Amino acid sequence: MNTDPHATDYVRFHPERCTGCADCLKVCPTRAIRIRHHTSVRFVDLCIGCGACIRVCAAGAITAAAAKPETLVQDHVAIALVSPVLYAQFPNAMPRDVLLGLRQMGFHHTIDMSIFLEMFQFAAAEFIRRNRESQSAPWPLISPVCPAVVRLIAFQFPSLLPNVLPVLRPVALMAREVRERLIPQYEARGRRVIKYYINPCPTMAVSPTDGMAAARKHPAIPIGINEIYPELKHRIEGILKEVSAFAEPQLEFETCATGNAALVAMSGGEIASMKIEKSMAVPGLKETIEYLQKIEMGLFQDVEYFEFRTCREGCLGGVLTAVDKYMAKSNVQRMLHIYGLGRRVPRNTILRLYEKGRFQPEQSAAGLTRLFGDRKPALTLEQMERIEALLEQVAGWNCGACGAPDCRTFAEDVVRGQAQMDDCHWQERGGAPPTRRPVK
Amino acid sequence: MASLQKSFPIVARDFVHAGEASIHVQSILKAMRMDPALIRRIAICCYEGEMNAVIHGGNGQILLAIEADQLNLAINDDGPGIEDIERAMQPGYSTASEEAREMGFGAGMGLTNMKNNADAIHIDSAPGQGTRVTMRFALPSPAEGP
Repeated sequence: MNTDPHATDYVRFHPERCTGCADCLKVCPTRAIRIRHHTSVRFVDLCIGCGACIRVCAAGAITAAAAKPETLVQDHVAIALVSPVLYAQFPNAMPRDVLLGLRQMGFHHTIDMSIFLEMFQFAAAEFIRRNRESQSAPWPLISPVCPAVVRLIAFQFPSLLPNVLPVLRPVALMAREVRERLIPQYEARGRRVIKYYINPCPTMAVSPTDGMAAARKHPAIPIGINEIYPELKHRIEGILKEVSAFAEPQLEFETCATGNAALVAMSGGEIASMKIEKSMAVPGLKETIEYLQKIEMGLFQDVEYFEFRTCREGCLGGVLTAVDKYMAKSNVQRMLHIYGLGRRVPRNTILRLYEKGRFQPEQSAAGLTRLFGDRKPALTLEQMERIEALLEQVAGWNCGACGAPDCRTFAEDVVRGQAQMDDCHWQERGGAPPTRRPVK
Repeated sequence: MASLQKSFPIVARDFVHAGEASIHVQSILKAMRMDPALIRRIAICCYEGEMNAVIHGGNGQILLAIEADQLNLAINDDGPGIEDIERAMQPGYSTASEEAREMGFGAGMGLTNMKNNADAIHIDSAPGQGTRVTMRFALPSPAEGP
């Protein structure tokens, strides 16, 4: 757990750059931000790593906690796990050029995600097919791919944790394959190996559903795409100028030969190549929350699978991308024309792995509930009464001047002993503002 | 004895804001960190009740009352009232308008879902006299915990 009030596991605040605009205050979906003394942003737990505050901060005072490329030290074997979003940043380069560029930058291995996506999609569809008979999980099932969505569910919609599809995410499959097949080769020779995950979001390589034990043993260090973009662009320009003979990659998952991977970076791309009867893709933070609310109230039980992404347009709209999401989307559409969609893994192979339980996450829904359940103390009935009474005394305008995003959150903070009633500006002026509206 | 009482208005035929009152109810239960499965049951009942009031016309309100060992939810509306309560409780029976059905509501499962998810339900209604649906949920004592 992070004890620095100016940082969470996923984002970091830089006080010297803050202009005090407070734009970040209201965009946080879990109301984790408080502002003290005008320009001091504090995070009070419950960050899901969606990056909404990074996106809205024009001053650059909130950044991802991800690593900078200069931390790529030379005394170890660096393995890059590559999010397909990276390919969409370079309109004229082929995926193999992008991967070669990364190797020129000093990564010893560059792992492409497409094979793992394909396996995930087939395994997910297989689970859904079987669930029609067994009804072992409730409908609609929810994609585990976006870790910010899984954390959002764990914190704010815990009753929907059983709906999260219990199949390992593509990046978890990728990390495991590297852990089992690549790392031992080096460790046998006494070399140290570090995995990096080059990706468009601050949510880190590990999602709560991945199975923590193994992931903790060999964590992947996240690097934002925007951090490596300038150097990689330069390398790729060099590669494109000459017809280069490049070292053939060692393993089958070190190349990318189909458009499938790029498609998944786009909203709707995950479900596009899954054989499911009724599915829906919902990108965007606000939209995701709205739909989760509806699912919690019992709607959409006729839908088999929801693909949620907290970013608009899906991962192409991630906060740590280098080119705009619509340009990236155009690049993906072009890649689809050039490569088409294809299959690289025999279905029987995936089915065999499925039967062996190779797609099953360690962490069950009940386990996740326990994992997240204790983060914030429950409010008692007496405290709830006090909150309602306090709400009668404050303006109810949700002005945010107190440093909390809205009046209810402020009243909660007061009751929890984390704020004083005097922090409310209307209190300071001796009572309620000119007109009052009830706070819900 | 501590208790929390709160009311939320429902506006008839306002399909745009329909469901908001239920979301507010849930946010209170979530702040108290009630058992997720229980929250889900209350959420379903609350939403179905709110939608009934929205669909069948007549403004109304949701009354939430939380006590140490139980939670009561009342959904009252000034709508046309229910002619035959027993029939209205049948799964699939619906008197919803064409407008509501076109929007995907009015499948006739509302009262059935409420009955299945509440620990107790009471409906008080007559033609021209509005409808008052009261539901009770038992709360586990803190010692037992979820």
